[in-house]
Amino acid sequence: MGIKHLYQLISENAPEAIKTGEIKNQFGRKVAIDASMSIYSFLIAVRSDGQQLMNESGETTSHLMGLFYRTLRMVDNGIKPLYVFDGAPPKLKSGELAKRFQRKTEAQAAAEEAKETGTAEDVEKFSRRTVRVTREHNEECRRLLKLMGIPYIVAPTEAEAQCALLARAGKVYAAASEDMDTLTFNTPILLRHLTFSEQRKEPIQEIHLDQALEGLEMQREQFIDLCILLGCDYLDPIKGIGPSTALKLIREHKDLEGVVEHMKSNTKYTIPDDWPFADARLLFLEPDVHAADHPDCDFKWEAPDEEGLVKYLVEEKHFSEDRVRSGAAKLKKNMKTAQQSRLEGFFKPVEKTAEQKATLKRKAEEKTAEKKKKQKQDAKDKKASKTKAKGGA
Amino acid sequence: MLEARLEQASMLKKVVDAIKDLVQDCNFDCNDSGIALQAMDNSHVALVSMLLRSEAFQPFRCDRNIALGINLSSLTKVLRAAQSDDQLTIKAEDAPDVVNLVFESKNTDRISEYDIKLMDIDQEHLGIPETDYAATIAMPAPEFQRICRDLSALSESVSIECTKEGVKFACQGDIGSGSVQLRASSDVSNPDENVEIELSEPVSLTFSLKYLVNFCKASGLSTRVRLCLSSEVPLLVEYPMQENSYLRFYLAPKIGDEE
Repeated sequence: MGIKHLYQLISENAPEAIKTGEIKNQFGRKVAIDASMSIYSFLIAVRSDGQQLMNESGETTSHLMGLFYRTLRMVDNGIKPLYVFDGAPPKLKSGELAKRFQRKTEAQAAAEEAKETGTAEDVEKFSRRTVRVTREHNEECRRLLKLMGIPYIVAPTEAEAQCALLARAGKVYAAASEDMDTLTFNTPILLRHLTFSEQRKEPIQEIHLDQALEGLEMQREQFIDLCILLGCDYLDPIKGIGPSTALKLIREHKDLEGVVEHMKSNTKYTIPDDWPFADARLLFLEPDVHAADHPDCDFKWEAPDEEGLVKYLVEEKHFSEDRVRSGAAKLKKNMKTAQQSRLEGFFKPVEKTAEQKATLKRKAEEKTAEKKKKQKQDAKDKKASKTKAKGGA
Repeated sequence: MLEARLEQASMLKKVVDAIKDLVQDCNFDCNDSGIALQAMDNSHVALVSMLLRSEAFQPFRCDRNIALGINLSSLTKVLRAAQSDDQLTIKAEDAPDVVNLVFESKNTDRISEYDIKLMDIDQEHLGIPETDYAATIAMPAPEFQRICRDLSALSESVSIECTKEGVKFACQGDIGSGSVQLRASSDVSNPDENVEIELSEPVSLTFSLKYLVNFCKASGLSTRVRLCLSSEVPLLVEYPMQENSYLRFYLAPKIGDEE
């Protein structure tokens, strides 16, 4: 789920923290990928005619198809992927709160089911919502990765947290996930859209935590508090708090203790009875992860087992043999060739002077102000034309 | 206010032609010592560094430090309007929206004038440390261009190996392999053809030919090219120009896996 509206907040307050570029600009980098999240997105996105891909015996293959081809795309672009799987969910997630959350989603699903008599569109929407990553899916993906020679590790709890730690320790360049809470877990750099399909032509987003913090003018502790207030996976969101209110509250009251104090004295907001923000904060500050020098975190990229891949994907899962073999050839080739290094490894960027920073900030603010003004104007125009149309009729 | 006149408009034309495939937009940083440019290509593998010293212009005046953010393909379009022996005057205000280029023909009274809109470019500036290179090779620029072009037909990368015997460019590709070996040579009557090698220790590094071929587009700027190598640092390819001005390219090496 991630953090609600965090991307919007960062893009408005710290636009320089977000860089976009083509996937090929990421070559030569090792990247830790949140596997569970990716598999889930493959199950949802890799479909034809709204149906999941299946082999002849009716087993779903969307996740394997997605994993195989999207990983190939990365390897083809010189990226070295490392997959991190979710372990057990943290206590706060599995506790009372999560149960309640579960009940809610179940209820929602049931309600949806009742509606199922509706149109085909509804049915498809509904089927997408009920997608679950099962243990079998995960195991099949691990088996595939092993055959491809791509390393993976299983995190003690949250995969995003483990990805973030590996990036922080310099074992990989960045953590790749769509979840913004990877930033809350302190990854220096977050890559988004890395596992998207080629056809979507989505540029890769690179979000730098340092610059985001600088733009938001806060320390990491405050940033975590902000994320919890925006709405994270562990706590229910507070009604009536959007991104701008959350930012304002944190800036005014420094931390969550202050914000909660303020909200208690203010009837506008109601805090849920059970809102253990300190526990959630601790989960972000000290997540249960393997330390970087843990033996599990020692990973290597190996040559693919071509015959094994053919046996598994072609014989068991009925993939096209030609495509599997050409994929294996690509994996092999990229193992062999010398890697192009990047200049940043040798030359360091010169720190911008305070004056330059100030100009940049001013320009960014002007831009957002202009954008907002335009939006407002557009809305006004729309409204005007509407009333006009009404008047005319 | 900036006002700088180049005797030959073709010089700037050649510089821009040489770098426009690597860099799309960049800042021309102008101060009283001259006009400088530094930019990386999109994938951060190569860096262009140009310096046109104030002595290369006649006259040169720059009252305040200004950065002219220019789209190089726009600049190319305008420079195409210049005849090669036209004089070129570059002008800009202190806080400019546009840069003004004036071409003056030497033979006729024809004067043409163009304004190019400037853009805000937020560029990272890299600090390049002073390096004592293990090997420095000076050779004719066309020779280097030929080597890169010939070898690029076979492979994506070239290894440059410099020993006291000479310098060897070698590559391996799907269809076979190739190499070109040069020894130090000096011809008093034709010093432009010399191959000079200064070596403190032997080095061998691998580079992408695609980028080297791209750098060689600068061959028209200078009769000579200088290659500087040290193990595990980027290669420096320098095209010297008049009055100590230069166009330099840095290229990050290809590195075998650490395992």
